[in-house]
Amino acid sequence: MDILWLGVFALLLIGYFALEGFDIGAGMLLPVLGRTQRDRDEIVTAMAPFVLAGEVWLVAVAGVLFGAFPAIEGEVLFGLYPLVVLLLVSWTLRDAGLWFRRRADGSAWRTTWDWAICAGSCGLALSWGMALVALAGGLSGPAIGLLEPAGALVMAALFALHGWTFLSWRLPGRVTGARRTGWALLGSACAAAAPVSVLLAVLAPWLLDHMAPAGTLSVLSVMILPFAPIMVGAQVWVWRMFGPGRAADRIPSFF
Amino acid sequence: MDVLDLARTQFAVTGSLHFLFVVLTLGLAPLIAITHTRYAVTGRPVHERATRFWGQIYVINYALGILTGLVMEFQFGLNWSGLSHYAGDVFGAPLAIETLGAFFLESTFLGLWIFGWHRLPKWLHLACIWAVTLTAYASALWIMAANSFLQNPAGAVERDGHLVLTDFGALLTNPTLTMALPHVLGAGLWTGGFVVLGASAYQLFRRTPERELFTSSLRTGVITSFVGSLITVGFGYAQFGAISGVQPDKFDGGVLPGLGLGFMIMIGQLLQFVIMFALTPAVYWLPRWRWAHPLLMAMTPLPFIAAILGWLARESGRQPWLINGRLTVADAMSPGLTSGMVTVSLIAFGGVLGLLALVDYLLIARTVRRGPAAATLGAGAPADPNERAHALSY
Ligand code: HEM
Repeated sequence: MDILWLGVFALLLIGYFALEGFDIGAGMLLPVLGRTQRDRDEIVTAMAPFVLAGEVWLVAVAGVLFGAFPAIEGEVLFGLYPLVVLLLVSWTLRDAGLWFRRRADGSAWRTTWDWAICAGSCGLALSWGMALVALAGGLSGPAIGLLEPAGALVMAALFALHGWTFLSWRLPGRVTGARRTGWALLGSACAAAAPVSVLLAVLAPWLLDHMAPAGTLSVLSVMILPFAPIMVGAQVWVWRMFGPGRAADRIPSFF
Repeated sequence: MDVLDLARTQFAVTGSLHFLFVVLTLGLAPLIAITHTRYAVTGRPVHERATRFWGQIYVINYALGILTGLVMEFQFGLNWSGLSHYAGDVFGAPLAIETLGAFFLESTFLGLWIFGWHRLPKWLHLACIWAVTLTAYASALWIMAANSFLQNPAGAVERDGHLVLTDFGALLTNPTLTMALPHVLGAGLWTGGFVVLGASAYQLFRRTPERELFTSSLRTGVITSFVGSLITVGFGYAQFGAISGVQPDKFDGGVLPGLGLGFMIMIGQLLQFVIMFALTPAVYWLPRWRWAHPLLMAMTPLPFIAAILGWLARESGRQPWLINGRLTVADAMSPGLTSGMVTVSLIAFGGVLGLLALVDYLLIARTVRRGPAAATLGAGAPADPNERAHALSY
């Protein structure tokens, strides 16, 4: 049971980096790759259907952290206090940009929210990079040390690569000028998820030491595992529905 | 203010903002699912326009529901780590079940519904909005179960200085849950009904070209708020029985609990009389009574206000306990939390979310004002042949 819930936790966190990482990367690159409003619209349209299904992995991570690792939930979030605040504010800005950018007319409105998407995505990448370094250091060192900025830059580069690959796969030959296959996208997903995977492997014994008692874990298993097929099915459906196989349709985006 | 007051203020501000959006989500979701079903069954364009128009209002509202909800979820660990330390083995379970078994699905299916217009097969697309509705209600169940545990820690015993789950069923049969959940869901329907009512009245007052659509939706708004008010008031009074059992002096102590409760009941009673004896009997003629429409518009915010007052009563009546009789709010605060930390995060969360909430309401008002013709949710492909050259469009 312990292994099962450690596995679920790891899967969700890795899934977040792989599936939300390209949205973050594409958001960071928005002003770089999207020189014109039309290009930016195209980038956002390409990522839009994946955002809701991608970001929800982190919500699930936090839920499992609380349910299956209650002894360290507070320690981790409190230990990373400024980074968690930065992460949440960035996330909020990025999402607000996506939801709002098309809700009113005028180019100033849309440009403003496009910048919010970019700033929010950068904030997400940087806070993740710093948080991973801080976690690797065991939360003991000073909140922002020397290694954190380096970690932030590495994470930002990995997300940017992932976002760039996604756009080259979803919009071949368009905003990036390049074409990438699904395999390349898988590769960049692995790259984006690599740091957190290593961290999880290192922290696994510590996590196992702090699992909720068996009674709680059985309740979680009984209540959640029956939904697992629907959850997986819905995610697969998103990718089948909005992947490049359907590129030919011409539907206005909502984001 | 000391650090404890600041942390409590932060929770009250983000929690109230969150519920303002959630209460409307809960009320609109079933209405949109029903409207979409009518469209799917009859194929009539007026139902499609109605689904897209109300759906757009729903999703704009939903955006802020997510954003405020994210902050809520992480706030426990930031400011109240004592809670997970002492009671995480119990309190964490409903939260984990909510995120995985409900919200994960809700968000995924909502994405499929929003971006699936004209792409998904008709019945599967319809199934998505029903899945969104179901999981939204499941979310409400689990969050209310977690909150009810704080009011009355059923199903757990203390061992070695922290709570252990002994009876999961007791979390769900908690008397502070069984009466409060229908009360909240009723409040959602009431709020959703009033928004539909107010927006329809506005459009009819402005002599909308969409007469048929808004005549019908105004009536839907009346009936929905009628049903919602019966549930809300019935279960509202029923809550007193449960409360007198587990929190007997809940509303005797401070000013806030009594005041919140009093004003909520006043608004509720007054509105219920209006709905029952004026709006519902007149439901057939109401769409044509232009003089009444400004009044209907003016009433729209009242259920929101009552709902926030209800939460203030419920949560401030619990003080000084975080978990009634077990853990005080002061003991639950993260050790080492400083005023500086909370002040910065309070300004960051409160400022950003407050501003976005304002923008969100302006955008909802704009959507209402511009009417169904301007709804972009599920809009068809543009006719411009030049754009057809592109693989993807916008
Ligand atoms: C005439 C009517 C009403 C009565 C007798 C009533 C009764 C109550 C009571 C006793 C509570 C406190 C429960 C606790 O402390 O545990 C409560 C809470 C609440 N009320 Fe009301 N209420 C009424 C009207 C309304 C209306 C009109 C709304 C909103 C549309 C509303 C929304 C809420 C909410 C959201 C809560 C907090 C959650 C809960 O405890 O259910 N109430 N109500």
